[in-house]
Amino acid sequence: MAGLDIRSMTLFTRNALIALGITLVLVGTIAYSVNYLNNARITELSAIEDQLSIDILSLDTQFSLLEAAPCDSSASSTTLIGELANMGNRLSYAEGQLGSNNTQVIRLKEQYSLLEIRDYLITNELAAACGAKKPVTVLYFYSNAGDCNDCDKAGYALSYLRDTYPTLRVYSFDYNLDLGALKTFITINKVQGALPAFVVNGKHSYGFTSLADLEKQFPKGALATSTASTK
Amino acid sequence: MSLEAVTYPFIFLALFFESFVLVTLLSKPARAARARGPGEATPSVAIIVPCWNEAVTVAATCESLLALDYPADRLEIILVDDGSTDATPAVMARFADYPQVRIISKENGGKHTALNDGIASTNAEFIGCLDADSFVEPDALKEIIPCFARAQVAAVTAAMSVHSPKTLLQHMQNAEYTFGITYRHVFASLNGLYVTPGPFSFYRKSTIEELGGFRHAHQTEDMEMALRIQRAGYEIENAPRARVYTKSPSTLFGLIKQRTRWTTGFIRNVLGDYRDLIGSRKHAVLGMLVLPTAVIAVGSGILLFFISIFELVRSAVTAIEIHAGIPFSYIFTPKGPFDWFYVPVDFFLLLAVTMLLTSLVFIFIGKRISRTPGKIALGVISYTFLYGFVAPLWLLRATADVSFGKNRGWRG
Repeated sequence: MAGLDIRSMTLFTRNALIALGITLVLVGTIAYSVNYLNNARITELSAIEDQLSIDILSLDTQFSLLEAAPCDSSASSTTLIGELANMGNRLSYAEGQLGSNNTQVIRLKEQYSLLEIRDYLITNELAAACGAKKPVTVLYFYSNAGDCNDCDKAGYALSYLRDTYPTLRVYSFDYNLDLGALKTFITINKVQGALPAFVVNGKHSYGFTSLADLEKQFPKGALATSTASTK
Repeated sequence: MSLEAVTYPFIFLALFFESFVLVTLLSKPARAARARGPGEATPSVAIIVPCWNEAVTVAATCESLLALDYPADRLEIILVDDGSTDATPAVMARFADYPQVRIISKENGGKHTALNDGIASTNAEFIGCLDADSFVEPDALKEIIPCFARAQVAAVTAAMSVHSPKTLLQHMQNAEYTFGITYRHVFASLNGLYVTPGPFSFYRKSTIEELGGFRHAHQTEDMEMALRIQRAGYEIENAPRARVYTKSPSTLFGLIKQRTRWTTGFIRNVLGDYRDLIGSRKHAVLGMLVLPTAVIAVGSGILLFFISIFELVRSAVTAIEIHAGIPFSYIFTPKGPFDWFYVPVDFFLLLAVTMLLTSLVFIFIGKRISRTPGKIALGVISYTFLYGFVAPLWLLRATADVSFGKNRGWRG
């Protein structure tokens, strides 16, 4: 019987060690795969962001070149807002997967915020220079620091409005992002710390209760003129 | 630390356990067990069928025993009526004319007393037990006997499946039992079994007499006997192609009652009378892996259940809050074509999927090595989606019973 115990113990030990090795390989492979996928997401985000940078810089340059007659430019930033929204959605998802403290996510968010600010400025300048009707713009300030219970709800409601009314220009900013340009932007727009905060065509509002209440903040007819409603 | 992170050690342990099963399945002793064919030796065997109010099924059980491919003069079938109050005695009487059938009637004293009375009444070399709601394949006994070839083997278990599963719960149990076929086959090869189930487990009579017969053992006499055999240094083997089919509860309440009895029996036996086996190096795989993992599984099953419920409720509340006021047409409309970027793959999900897939592989292996006929697809589906939600119910009930010292009746 002692011989059997030793044999069984030896086999048990051997199999346990092999099983431990397999488990470590499995867990390692899973961790590697998840990391690989997240890196691929970051790479894609960077690629989109690079393209957006080029597009906005191009628009900016065209605007400068044709300073005398900016409205003759065939360039328009209206197509960029769609890309910005796409980028924002992806960035938000990647932030959920990687965490808001991830350095790459923070770097991408900083770049994204700069692109948004630049697009916002160019849009306003174009509208002013060409005398066109100013598009309805929403500046949305949120926080992921756990101090904004209604930010998720507000973000989803804005996504709905943006998808439903494609002419609406929504710019989302992480209020706590440590970025000089963003801090200046917040100061210029006189946004206080109560979040979520909205600036709809210059009009401020704070907090989120419902979609209907948010819609009331929009200028009369701004949403009704839409053609892409899914309502 | 997030709640999700709490689950990682348990998932790691489960993966390790499954890896161990896989490695041992491919090891020499398990391969040798699979290569073992039915034997020609026909030692004397007595099969005891303890009955308490089993009028509905005992006839079919007895008929399946009479159909066993084994010489009638070497096989005794002992039907023990343990004080039934239904038509069981009358049904049993129909088999009285068979020379190999013997009927014993006694006052109700519990399953262990019925088994002991049966054992005391025979001189057979090997004793088999068959619950009166179970049915065997004709070649099952010839698969069992060769497993006793070595003198240190004191007991042999069979390969159990659910008899004619009909409800979703029965299909789920069938998949679980089929998983158990792989599990028993693998751990028997390293002498790691701690239960010799009621349906068609066999014992060497001399060992039973040496160890002192069956005990009440918190209504899990089959588990207690197996633990006693292990503690005494004997071995428990498994015959993976000795197929036996057993009736299983068709309702959730029936299933919870049955499993509560099993789980309380496990906790009371293993953490009580047989605590010394946990961590015992002498008992190798049983002491160092099987019993500790089984104990942890009870606790982790409850913990993971509560974490899952908490996370589900939290996610549901968040989803309802976020989507409040938004038209359903928007919420449920896909946002563009498939995009790999949004595939919700994370570490926890992949670990859980790997664990589940491995379990499913073991179910298919169990079906294959036992050569059990029938389809298992519905069982696999119900096992995948139901088991994780229903198993914690009996784990909770059993833990509460043990904690508060509550004892329930056999069918209560």
